[in-house]
Amino acid sequence: MFSKRNLITYAIAFVFILLLNFLLPRMMPGDPLMAIYGDEALIAMTPELEAELVERFALDQPLWQQLGAYFVALFQGELGYSYYYNAPVLSVILGRLPWTLLLVGTSLLLSTMLGIVLGIESGWRRGSRTDRTLLAGLMSLNGFPDFFLGMLLLIAFGVVLGVFPLAGALTPYSGLSGLALLWDVLRHLFLPVAALTLAHLGSSYLLTRNTMITVLKEPYMLTAKAKGLSPRLLKYRHAGRNSMLPVVTQTGIWMGRVVTGTLFVELVFAYPGIGYLTYEALLARDYPIIQGVFLMVAISVLAANFLIDLSYPKLDPRVSYAY
Amino acid sequence: MTKEVLNLVPKLLIPAVIVVVLLAFPSCTAGTPEVSSYTIADSTGDWGYPSPYAHYSRGPGYVRMSFIFETLVWKDTSGFVPQLAEEWEYIAEENAYIFELRNDVTWHDGTKFTADDVVFTFDYTQQHPYQWVDNSIVESAEAIDEYTIKLYLSKNYAPFFQDIAGVQPILPRHIWEGIEEPEKFAAPEAVIGTGPYLLADNSKEHGSYLYKAYEDYYLGTPIVDEIKFVRVSEEMIPAALQEGSIDAGDIPPEVVSEMEEAGLAVITAPVAWNAKLTINHHQDPLSSRQFRQALAYAIDREALVQITQRGHALAGSPGMIPPTSGWYNPDTPQYEYDPAQAIRLLEELGYELEDGYFTKDGEVLELELLATADFKEVGQFIKQQLEEAGIKIDFRTLEAKTVDTKVEAWDFDLAVYGHGGLYEPSFLKTVIIDEGFKSARYTSNETLNQLIEAQLTEMDADQRAELIFHIQEVYAQDLPALTLYYPKWYWAHDGTVNLFYTMDGIAIGIPIPLNRMAFVE
Repeated sequence: MFSKRNLITYAIAFVFILLLNFLLPRMMPGDPLMAIYGDEALIAMTPELEAELVERFALDQPLWQQLGAYFVALFQGELGYSYYYNAPVLSVILGRLPWTLLLVGTSLLLSTMLGIVLGIESGWRRGSRTDRTLLAGLMSLNGFPDFFLGMLLLIAFGVVLGVFPLAGALTPYSGLSGLALLWDVLRHLFLPVAALTLAHLGSSYLLTRNTMITVLKEPYMLTAKAKGLSPRLLKYRHAGRNSMLPVVTQTGIWMGRVVTGTLFVELVFAYPGIGYLTYEALLARDYPIIQGVFLMVAISVLAANFLIDLSYPKLDPRVSYAY
Repeated sequence: MTKEVLNLVPKLLIPAVIVVVLLAFPSCTAGTPEVSSYTIADSTGDWGYPSPYAHYSRGPGYVRMSFIFETLVWKDTSGFVPQLAEEWEYIAEENAYIFELRNDVTWHDGTKFTADDVVFTFDYTQQHPYQWVDNSIVESAEAIDEYTIKLYLSKNYAPFFQDIAGVQPILPRHIWEGIEEPEKFAAPEAVIGTGPYLLADNSKEHGSYLYKAYEDYYLGTPIVDEIKFVRVSEEMIPAALQEGSIDAGDIPPEVVSEMEEAGLAVITAPVAWNAKLTINHHQDPLSSRQFRQALAYAIDREALVQITQRGHALAGSPGMIPPTSGWYNPDTPQYEYDPAQAIRLLEELGYELEDGYFTKDGEVLELELLATADFKEVGQFIKQQLEEAGIKIDFRTLEAKTVDTKVEAWDFDLAVYGHGGLYEPSFLKTVIIDEGFKSARYTSNETLNQLIEAQLTEMDADQRAELIFHIQEVYAQDLPALTLYYPKWYWAHDGTVNLFYTMDGIAIGIPIPLNRMAFVE
C-alpha cells in the first residue's frame, strides 16, 4: 500500500530538514554570548570566564565540527544542552509539550468538528438565510489573525469582565487539587482555545461547504434520494463523508504546525507551550532549543503527512488505486 | 433569523453557553487557611533554579537567588549595611579586609554558619568562578577565628563592596564541597542558604516560584509567610494588579497615572541605563573635537525626551553619569540646545552654509546615522535636528548584528546605542576605553585614560569621587560619545510590603525593587 519510493521521499526530506535545521539558527545575527548575558547590566566578565563559557558551549569550533557533533548526538537520541536554560533540550521541550498539545488538540478538534458540521448544514441549505448568515459570519472571523481574536477575548472577558484569568495555564501554588485543579486548568484553557478555534473554524467550514455543494450534485446522491433515505442519512453518511477529504488534508497540515501555529496565542496568554518557548529561545539565541523545536516541527509535519497518506484510502478507497 | 437558524442554534450553542457560564464562575477554592502571601509578576517568569550557579545571568535571576543566599554586606536605600558580616575594616598596608561575622546565623538545614564557609566560598570560586564576580581580585581568604575572616586582594580595587563583597553569595561548605559541576547541581540541598526565605517549589514551564519564610532567620521571622513569583504577560500586569491577583509587578510608563488612580503605589528606579550617540572619532570630520561639540549643541536632548520617550526619561548628561547619581558632577559641561552656536562652530571649521546644508571644498557635509529598529524614533529625531543645523544625515535602520559589526569595524559615522550599569563608576573603563562595540574605545586622551585607571584603584572614597568628577568634565569636553537620555522604569505594588529601590541597585546594580530586606522587619 505504501511504496518504497514514498519512503525514500520521506527520508530525503528528513535529511534535508536536518541540514537546514542545523544551518539556519547559526545564520541568525548576534553573538550568542552577548545575547545570553544581556545588557541590563555590564557584568564583570573576565576573559577567563568568557573563554570558559565559549568552550563549554562549543562556540569556538568550526561549523563542520559542530555539524558532526550535532548528527552524532542526534542519532543517540540527544537533542543537546541548552545553555540558557541550563538543562537538556529534550527535557525543556517535553516540559512544554503537554500544554501545547492540550491547547492545539482541543482547538483543532473543536474547529474541525464544528467546521464540518456547520459546513454540511450550510451546504445542504445552500442559498438559505442560515447559509448566508453562517457564510458571512465565519468568513469575516476567518479574516482575523488568531492572536488578534485572542487579544479581543482577553480584553473583553479577562480585563473588562474579569471572568477569566489573565495569564498562564493554571494558578500557581493555589493549593488546588483533583477536580478543582482540573477546573482551574480548564478556565485558563478556555480563552486561548476559543481564539484558536474561532480563527480556524472558517477554513474548515468553507472547505466542507464547498465540497458539500459539489457532492450534492453527484448522481449517487440522486440515487440515494430515490432510495428514500432519510435526509439525515443523506446529509451525513452520503454527502458529508465525501465532503470530508479536503478538511482532513487541511487538518493534517494544521497538525504539522502544532508547534509554531500557536506561537502568538501562547504569547498573548503567557501560555507555557512550545510557541512561547520558541519565542524565548529566539530572543536568547539559544541555538540548541531552536534546533530542538524546529526538529519537532519537521517531524510533526512529516508525521502529519504520513497520517494523511494513510487515512485517505479509508475515507475514499479510490485513492489507493491512484498509485 | 429564520426558523432554520433557530433550530440550529440550540443544538450547537446551548452546550457552548453552558460551558462558558460554568467556566466563568471560579470554583470555590479548597479550604486553605489564611496565609499571608505575596505575589510578584514579570513577563518572563523562568529565571532558572535559584542556586548561585544555576540562576540565569540576568538581574531577576540573581534577585530570586538572593532571597535564599546572602552576602557579607548588603545595601538598602542609603548604601551598604551589614549582612553576614557585622563589622569590617580595611588594612591598607596589607591590602586586605577583615570582616567580623555574625555568630547567630544558621544555614537552612540547621548547621551553624562560620568563617569556614566564607573561606570555602572564596576558595571554591577560584576553581568555579561565580558568574557575576571577577574571582581574580580576592587572592586568598583566611579564617582568623570562628567568626573572623580576612580577605587579601590581589590589587587595589575601589569597587570591592559594590562588585564583590556585596555580590558574592556565601555557600555552605558542608554541601558544596565536592560538587564538581555546580551549574548542574540542582538538588534540594543546592538551595540551602542563610537568607530569609526557603525555596518550596519552582516550575520552569509555568515560570513560577514559591518561597516560604525561614522561621529561624537571625533578623526575625520574615513579615510575609510566602512569596510567589508568577508569569504574566507585560500587557496584562496592570490589569492583574488592578484585579488584585498579583501584588507587585513592573509596568509600562503609559499606565503610571492609571495605576496611581487605582490606589496602587508606583515607584521609579534611579536611572540605570543610557541611550547614546556613538561617534566615529577615528575619522574626519568627526575626529575634530569642535565638530563633535557642534553636534551636541545641535541636538535638543530635552525635546528628544519629550517627543521620543513621551517624557518618561531624563535628558542625558554629556558626562554620562546621570544627575541622580551620587557620583554626578554638577559642573559637567552641558551643551544646552543652541543651534546657532553649532552653526558658528562649524563655520569656524571652514564649512559654508549653502542651500540649507554645510559644504566644504564643494562637497556637501553628509553623515550616516545607524540605529536598530528599537531606536527608530530617536534616530529620526536626531536626523531632523542635525539637518536643521545644516548637517545632511543619511539615516538607516538596520538589524542589530549589522549595526554591531559596522560599529565594531569603525565603518560608520554616527550610531544610536544603549547600555546599562550606570550605578558603579567602574563601568567607565568598560564603556570609554575598553574594546567592544558598546564602548567609545576612546584612548587618545592620556589624562582621561589615567583618570579612569586611577579611580578603579583609589581606595579613599572622597578622592575617588574627585577623580570621577574630573572624568566627567574631560569626557564631556572631548565627547567621544554623547549620552542622549536615561529611560525611567516603573513598578507598581499594592503597598502591603514596602518595596523600595536599593541605592545603586541590588548587588552589582540591579534596578529591581525586590530587595529581600523589604520582607524582613
